[in-house]
Amino acid sequence: MIRLEEIWRRYLSDDVETTALHAINLHVGVGEFVAVMGPSGCGKSTLLNMLGTIDRPTTGRYYFGDHNLADMDEKSLARFRSEKLGFVFQSFNLIDELTVRENVELGLVYRRQAIADRRTRLMAAMDQVGIAHRADHFPHQLSGGQQQRAAIARAIVSDPQLILADEPTGNLDSANSRQVRDILSALNAAGTTIVMVTHSQDDADIAHRQITMLDGRIVGSTVR
Amino acid sequence: MTWFSFRALYRSLSYHLFYTFLNVGSLSIGIAAALVIGIYIRHETSFERWLPGHEEIYLIQTSWDQPGSPYDGIDSATMGGLLDLLKAEFPGITGTRIQYTQGAGTVLRGGIGLSENVSRVDAGFFDVFELPLIAGNAQDALAEPENVAISAGTAQKYFGDLSPLGQSMTITLYNQTRPYRVAAVFEDLPRTTDFQFSMLVRLPEKIHDPAWNFWGASNVLTFVRFPEADAAKAFALRLPDFVARRAQSDLGPDTPRLGLSLLPIDDLHLNPVGDEGGSPRSTVITLGLVGALILAIAIFNYVNLATARAGLRAREVAMRKVLGADRRALLIQFLAEAVAIALLSALAGLVLAIPMLQFLNAATGLLLSFPYLAILPATLALAILVGIASGFYPAIVLARLPAAGTLASAHTPGGGRTGARLREALVIFQFTIAVVLLTGTIVAAAQMRHMRNTDPGYDREQLLVVESFADPALDDSQRTRLVENVRKLPQVLAHTTADNAPGSGLDSADNFPVAGSNGNGVSMRRISIGPNFFQTYGTRLIAGRQFNDRFGADDSAGLDWSTPRNIIISRRALRAMGFVSPQAAIGKTIGGAAPRTIIGVAADMQFFSSRLTLGPTYYLYFSEMPPNPLLALRYNGAESDIAAVIAERWQQTAPQVPYQASTAEQRLRSYYDADTRTFKMLGVTSGLAIFIASIGLWGLASFTTARRMREIGIRKTLGATSGDITQLLVGQFLRPVIVSNLIAWPISYILLRQWLSGFADPIALSPTHFMASSVIIICVAILTISFQSSRASRTNIANILKND
Repeated sequence: MIRLEEIWRRYLSDDVETTALHAINLHVGVGEFVAVMGPSGCGKSTLLNMLGTIDRPTTGRYYFGDHNLADMDEKSLARFRSEKLGFVFQSFNLIDELTVRENVELGLVYRRQAIADRRTRLMAAMDQVGIAHRADHFPHQLSGGQQQRAAIARAIVSDPQLILADEPTGNLDSANSRQVRDILSALNAAGTTIVMVTHSQDDADIAHRQITMLDGRIVGSTVR
Repeated sequence: MTWFSFRALYRSLSYHLFYTFLNVGSLSIGIAAALVIGIYIRHETSFERWLPGHEEIYLIQTSWDQPGSPYDGIDSATMGGLLDLLKAEFPGITGTRIQYTQGAGTVLRGGIGLSENVSRVDAGFFDVFELPLIAGNAQDALAEPENVAISAGTAQKYFGDLSPLGQSMTITLYNQTRPYRVAAVFEDLPRTTDFQFSMLVRLPEKIHDPAWNFWGASNVLTFVRFPEADAAKAFALRLPDFVARRAQSDLGPDTPRLGLSLLPIDDLHLNPVGDEGGSPRSTVITLGLVGALILAIAIFNYVNLATARAGLRAREVAMRKVLGADRRALLIQFLAEAVAIALLSALAGLVLAIPMLQFLNAATGLLLSFPYLAILPATLALAILVGIASGFYPAIVLARLPAAGTLASAHTPGGGRTGARLREALVIFQFTIAVVLLTGTIVAAAQMRHMRNTDPGYDREQLLVVESFADPALDDSQRTRLVENVRKLPQVLAHTTADNAPGSGLDSADNFPVAGSNGNGVSMRRISIGPNFFQTYGTRLIAGRQFNDRFGADDSAGLDWSTPRNIIISRRALRAMGFVSPQAAIGKTIGGAAPRTIIGVAADMQFFSSRLTLGPTYYLYFSEMPPNPLLALRYNGAESDIAAVIAERWQQTAPQVPYQASTAEQRLRSYYDADTRTFKMLGVTSGLAIFIASIGLWGLASFTTARRMREIGIRKTLGATSGDITQLLVGQFLRPVIVSNLIAWPISYILLRQWLSGFADPIALSPTHFMASSVIIICVAILTISFQSSRASRTNIANILKND
């Protein structure tokens, strides 16, 4: 499904060049659940951003199915994200001004094709993560776990093929973390491909494959 | 916009109520000001446009090229016979004359004269001016010499509900009283006109006045109508040759001094002849500019707040990008937000504009009405324009915010520096405008005060001018009786007659050759006066003596033009004639073929607008009363008392002539109405500009201060006092305000020097004017900022650092 070939990412600031990704080659199959681990600053998040097309490689090729995303323009990438991808972040990134329902709805706003059963989709997504009873609350009225579940609902409402999760349990207590892991496992079981960056071994344990990164390189890969 | 984006916008606006309030507040005031100024401009530019065929009608105006003379520049009137000559030269030309009677038209009802604006026009008047008729028809309206066409209001006044057609009216005009028959009723002239007639009668076939056909005389307004603009142009091109051939007999080989030109009547109002009142065109342009600038200040508030707060929306932007929004979708969203806020503001502005217009009407005496129907589309268009103008740059900034990085961070992204330099530039721009407007207002106020307080060369208080005394319908015996009746009144301290008085009078001038120089010599205004003139006015004689009946040569009554006599000249005449001192002029004889011996030099007397340069003047004495006399009375007590008593005496002596009088102060004040109006509008608009700019500064200060709380906390832990913090924050925002002042000074100086040059007696621009406005603006700015700053500086440090 995903093939990264010789991906480099370099940042240049004030004449200091930093290499965040060092000739990354990675293959993720359909329906796979991959956990990316490694110390802070090793390039995990950069890799995830690369996969999510919100950052672009300096050189290299990124195939999603048959398409080389590295060649696509900004507009096509935006469209690609809205149709194929779902994002989950450590800091939830809910919009403060919007209710849970509206935050989730935001996941459908940029879909080009008309969605007839919008309401049903919204409710289904919120039901799936158990946040429907809080639909009309604002983010600041929710607990961290509830906020993260709302964020997951937003990620899955558009029925993405790939979910990218950036330390989804990083801000949560153990009970809420477990809930989030259960949801991700269930999604994966239902056929969604997931790539998740994490510090937590508990998180990593639910993945099929663990990749370890160091200094911008993939240094290890463990299949469970 | 989809339903979702509406909801999202609503959430965003209601969540950040304070900023919504600031934005909508300043935009709505800006839009309201723009609307009200728009209504005013629409009024000023719609003069005569109501008239069918207005774009085909032209006024023929006379232009004189004789610098230094009272008769220089453009005169809207021509000689009476011009149209006859034109008809002979240009067969088939359509035109009409309008001869105003300056209130001397009188309708007699039950033996009592009522003053009406009766104008004499040509029979073809209605071919040129297609006034909408209520009764009668245009062909017959002025077909007979005894016909009169009257306005609907006049018909109502004299005939009530009776049918006015065919009714008889007795009208006194140019000293002739005769019956007329109402042949047509036209609709009352709208407010958007400079024409003042309410009754129209025909000009006689023959007019036995030598001045009627004298080139250079100004008797009537001459209008011509050309259906095609090209025909008008061709006609105008032939005028110089026409004048050269025809005018030579009257003006001699000097005819190039006089020219005729066409002025479309659409331009009549904005391009008035003479410059007594200040030009409406420049007022309209100035106010239009001010309106646009006020709107710009409000728009910049939006730009400033939106870009300053861009960081707060970084998370939203990133999230939307992640969810598949491309840059275009985001641009559209943020633009739509701005337009939506502008529409909301426009709604509020519309509501605000109504009392604002009422205030304007009350302050300026205008009668502008709120055009409910026309204003809706205009407001809508304005709102969309304002929305796009204010949303454009912020939309670009917001849509450009990066997605990566923001989302992984737990902190609310800062982003406060985005466009910080631009914001400072916009604040500088806003306050520059505010300072320029305020300085303008202060200088205008000083100039108005100066004009009102300048010594006009006589005591203008408690001086009553009886204008109707000059009415040709009065005969000399009636005038004498009136004077006898009035002089015995205990309130009347002194009285005099002259053909000039504050605010009115004959325009007469004579040329005095100056030895050793060529040309026409010095053109001096001639004022013919009766006894006690200078005493009544309280005007000082600088040298020589007053006119005195003991000296036969003082009296001009009944003399031929060439007969030598004595005159008094004004101080300016002294200079113009080249006398080294007042004493040097006494006893000198000037005037060449018509010798005049100077017996006195009087202080200059300003009877007209002080926008006009006061030229040299000389006085002729008539021992009884000069021709066309205006009566001037020095009184004590209240003006209303004296006016009532004199009106009563007048009614007893000359009931057939309507009594008209006003004080010198009232008459002089009318010259400054337009200036006062402009000044008041400038004052209000500069107040609004300052207010809107302050709203913006307040918003910016409160936002930036909130963003700097952490810095403030750290500074305080390092030992900074509240005072230090306030100083720091105030300094940050005061800098652009101070820079604005530095920029505004030269701009104001150039603009104001230009404006003041339109006055004959301008005040000198002084640093005080500039300092005053700067001090006011800086105080307002400090007040605005320090409210935020002092609150921030007092906040508990522990709270700040813990929350971070």
